[in-house]
Amino acid sequence: MPGSLLMIILYLAVAVFVVGLIKRGLKIAKLPIHLRWELSPVPHEKGKASYGGSYLEEFEWWTKPREKSLLNEFWYMFLEIIFLKGVWENNRRMWYFSFPFHFGGLYLVVVAVALFKLSAFIGFTGTNTSAIASLAIGVSVIAYGLGAFGVIGLCIQRLTDPVLKPFTTPSHIINLVFLGSIYVSGLAAIFSISNYAAQMTGFIQGMVTFSPPALPGIMGLHVILASAFLIYLPFTYMMHFVAKYFTYHEIRWNDTPMPGNDKMEKEVGELLSQSPTWSAPHLKADGKKTWVDIATEEMDK
Amino acid sequence: MKKSQKIEDFGKNPEQPLTEVKLEDLPPLPPPYDKLEEQPTWKEIPEEKKKDMACNLDGFVGLSLPKPASAEEEKELVDKFVSGLQKLLTKENNWGFLQPLSLTLEYCAKCQTCNDSCPVYTESGKNDVYRPTYRAEIWRRLVYKYAKKSHPLMTKFKHGDIDLNWTTISRLYELAYRCTMCRRCAQACPMGVDNALVTHELRKMFSQELGWAPSELHEKGTVQQLKVGSSTGMSPLVVKDNMEFVDEDFSELSGLDANSKWDVEGADVLMLHNAGEIMAWPENPAAFAIIMNAAGVNWTLSSESPGYDGVNYGLFYDDFQLARIALKHAATAKKLKVKKVLMGECGHQHKAMMTISDRILIGDMNVRKESCIPFLEEIVFSGKIKLDPSKNDFPVTLHDPCNITRNLGIIEPQRRILRHICPQFREMTPHGVENYCCGGGSGFAIMSGNNFADWRISLSGRKKFRQIINAFQDKPGPETKKYVCAPCSNCKGQIRDILEYYDAKEKSNLIYGGLVELIVNAMVDIKEPFIKWDE
Ligand code: SF4
Ligand code: SF4
Repeated sequence: MPGSLLMIILYLAVAVFVVGLIKRGLKIAKLPIHLRWELSPVPHEKGKASYGGSYLEEFEWWTKPREKSLLNEFWYMFLEIIFLKGVWENNRRMWYFSFPFHFGGLYLVVVAVALFKLSAFIGFTGTNTSAIASLAIGVSVIAYGLGAFGVIGLCIQRLTDPVLKPFTTPSHIINLVFLGSIYVSGLAAIFSISNYAAQMTGFIQGMVTFSPPALPGIMGLHVILASAFLIYLPFTYMMHFVAKYFTYHEIRWNDTPMPGNDKMEKEVGELLSQSPTWSAPHLKADGKKTWVDIATEEMDK
Repeated sequence: MKKSQKIEDFGKNPEQPLTEVKLEDLPPLPPPYDKLEEQPTWKEIPEEKKKDMACNLDGFVGLSLPKPASAEEEKELVDKFVSGLQKLLTKENNWGFLQPLSLTLEYCAKCQTCNDSCPVYTESGKNDVYRPTYRAEIWRRLVYKYAKKSHPLMTKFKHGDIDLNWTTISRLYELAYRCTMCRRCAQACPMGVDNALVTHELRKMFSQELGWAPSELHEKGTVQQLKVGSSTGMSPLVVKDNMEFVDEDFSELSGLDANSKWDVEGADVLMLHNAGEIMAWPENPAAFAIIMNAAGVNWTLSSESPGYDGVNYGLFYDDFQLARIALKHAATAKKLKVKKVLMGECGHQHKAMMTISDRILIGDMNVRKESCIPFLEEIVFSGKIKLDPSKNDFPVTLHDPCNITRNLGIIEPQRRILRHICPQFREMTPHGVENYCCGGGSGFAIMSGNNFADWRISLSGRKKFRQIINAFQDKPGPETKKYVCAPCSNCKGQIRDILEYYDAKEKSNLIYGGLVELIVNAMVDIKEPFIKWDE
């Protein structure tokens, strides 16, 4: 397959993905401040997180220094992201497929791509990088193998498990099949092309110098499928890795009190001066009265 | 195997209940409560009533929603419902929950990891309709198909299909009152999606747009509180009168100073009780008074409406009613120039005042608020009151109110107190931050219309009853008196109803009460035991 065509598709895909990622993140971040809705355990509570305690356990908590541990938050997220701790604890049956899919089909794929890039960049210096490239191949095989195992298992579960089935929509299956096709085409390319590592390294180098070599058909198909997935991804709920930052850090663990926080007070003041339009009779929100007006008016006696 | 409930069927078969719940489907309780024939039967809704009132979800009715009189009325309701769904997703109408709600809308993986955390679902014998995800999925499909008006094919592909009609709306309204908003499911969700929030927002939408809410929470709850001063109906004059009796009775009984202080300007502490305590459990405010007087605390009650009732049912169904009451509570504290407001033993009051309304009270309206639990811990371990734990030498277990533990993270101080003053204290399994709701959360404890009490006791309260019985497995019989400590008015109401329903005083010698009662019971100077076993 012509290298330049593949290069254009891949650059385009990466651009769409990056723009989609930023847009998603900004869209969530730009939503207004919310009322406190924290949920224990909050891991940054130093000395208390292990049992779910918070600073509100302290006598006159506002007179005590806030002791936060970012390391605890990091550790919590590490276990959650890498090992899917929540799924392990609460949904073991799904974990057996979800974990290989996430760990292999996503994280190891990223590692494999990084290794190929490393091999390509070091290769520019004339150094022999066959060891790194071989490692990249090994990681790719494990990644695609685990990913394929995971998506097949998840597909079967989603289609047959009476608990999951009523909630399964065509998009769930298409997403999994799409990912599966990337893993299978990757494995097929690796096993059918004897110098896959050299071709991939050369292709990445060509992407940098804007003169990529042509790739064998199956490898080209693999690159196209991966690119198409990158373009598709920002339009799906699979971007939950972005959302997860907010659901944990900004909602579950956001326990910042308002007193003394001028910036927050100012923002809340502005939000309270908006005019809601709810139509229930006890509110009489006519689109002119503000939140403050409605909240401070007396109920008819 | 049970037939699984299709989401698409939610708006179909208008005259039939969507599901049927049978006593024999529920997991059996531990002995001696395991015999089905000894359990109270559930009330049937009379056919007469069914003609005019929606009874189409699960055979239980908590809300008495009248059926629409005409096709035009139905259409109007459907239109309003759609506009309500839309308003939930706009900044000017719902800024306070927009971010969490949008994330919950868009990022559920439908993995069902949250399901088994839900006591309602598991104790129903895993009825699909009570899945934490079921209600949320109905809402999600309705939003995408009708409120966001995505292309029908895209909607089906991405989110799945659903019909919208009177049946959908009335079932969803009733279903919004089949979840106690305990947030146990949210804790289990790896995505941080919150199905309890969906319940909260649906209830809000019904109240704020359609004007629908349970009368116990709205007319008899927040509206009465804002008009008269208290959801109990007590005016300032009546509350002072009632408390005078409480002061006298308990001073005499205890031989200690149980007198209340009223409207003391500049007091260190403004004590804010759930006024239901004064009516149903006067020993609780009396115990607070005894402890604070004995410890030399400079405290006061307020007689200004509604500053003597810490209840804020707005938390369960309506943001504006919540704000109206929260502002009045804050104004009372500000006017009295107190140093802090102390939350009595009432879980939802803790959440409404300490966290939810924290971000609506600006400047000096945001008076410092403290839970009674660390406050009591400070007194108990300060040596200001003399305690003799041997006076509490009976088995005691602790119920953790969701709003105090899961939502506020106040877990250990109450345990340190109980370990100190109750030699036979034992935990329920699980407890603390992993506790189970009493089943009366989110307003259920005061809702008993039609046959709703049957549902909330034998279904949503089932897990709690099981936990209570299991906590006393070593001494199950009636020969040992046992105490369930529940430091929350609503939880106490629910536990009272559960124990009565199963005749647990008779069969297991179980009583319930608050935390302060145990502290006063252990006071060296008390004339006679404060906890009464035979009332
Ligand atoms: S709420 Fe969370 S745990 Fe439940 S199905 Fe959705 S993503 Fe899974
Ligand atoms: S909030 Fe509690 S009752 Fe409601 S669905 Fe979640 S776990 Fe069940």
